[in-house]
Amino acid sequence: MPDTWAPVARSAITVPGPRSVVDGWEVSTRRSSAALRLSDASPLAKVSVRADADGALADAFGVRFRSSRRRDGVLVIGSGPGEWLLVGGVGTAHQIAGQVCGLVAGDFVSVVDVTHGRALMRLTGSDASRALSKVCAVDLSDAVTPEGAAFRSSVAKVTTDVIRDDAGGGAGEPSYLLHCERSSGQYLFKCLLDAGKEFGIEPEGPGLDSTGAR
Amino acid sequence: MIRIPCPHCSARNSAEFRHVGEAAARPDPSTVTPEQWRVYLYERSNPAGWITETWFHTMGCRRFITVERHTVTNEIRSVRPAGSSGPEPAEALSGRADAGSPDAGGQA
Repeated sequence: MPDTWAPVARSAITVPGPRSVVDGWEVSTRRSSAALRLSDASPLAKVSVRADADGALADAFGVRFRSSRRRDGVLVIGSGPGEWLLVGGVGTAHQIAGQVCGLVAGDFVSVVDVTHGRALMRLTGSDASRALSKVCAVDLSDAVTPEGAAFRSSVAKVTTDVIRDDAGGGAGEPSYLLHCERSSGQYLFKCLLDAGKEFGIEPEGPGLDSTGAR
Repeated sequence: MIRIPCPHCSARNSAEFRHVGEAAARPDPSTVTPEQWRVYLYERSNPAGWITETWFHTMGCRRFITVERHTVTNEIRSVRPAGSSGPEPAEALSGRADAGSPDAGGQA
């Protein structure tokens, strides 16, 4: 055995292409310049927070169910009534959890690192809404689901948190974060690739930026 | 397909929900008779008309909701979070057309 040994985490999603280990995650280094791209974002830190829907934590976050907001580089998502999902840079889950605990003293709050238990992917491109609407019944028009909107619904029959996050997509195009149980990740990834086929979708690795954006 | 106007998530396809059944008040276990308990557990009114029932939004807010539904036409006339009293304001029933409310009516 080598002297230095570090655990390597693997995403639930397999993206074709050359692989390398980045920040403790074995990821595909494949990048795509296609008009519509689906990237595996699973290495990002994911923290599930539950608290009173109208309590002190909701006020501290400034985020309620069905909305999201970037706060100090962490995307705070109101994924349910009294339920938040925090997405941040790779390996920052404990840091994020510590910050949440610092926000409220005395209130009963549950903070769980779900990084390795969930799958996260990002669909980016001008046709992202059209591709996603093939497998999701929620109205994805800008009027109903604007930048920052979040909802949980059925996407390809999988319970999925969907967040409209153009800012995190980087390219100034419509971009959606999709978050589901780890065991459904590969299936959802394939379903989205299938739905996006007519728009020329291409899969890609997580990219090397570790700030929550691409 | 039934569209259920979830008080938390706005109108969604009933496939996102689990049908729990007719809502009945739970008798007080300390004073209930075996006969009353049997009725509570097993008897349902099953009317051809208006019924108050509980649904669970499995693929959305993961909350129980109380729905008044017509079993013949599937029309829904009120919906509210389970445990709360009184019907939800009419805005929930209109599908919440205001901006920022995802409204799922179709398949998927």
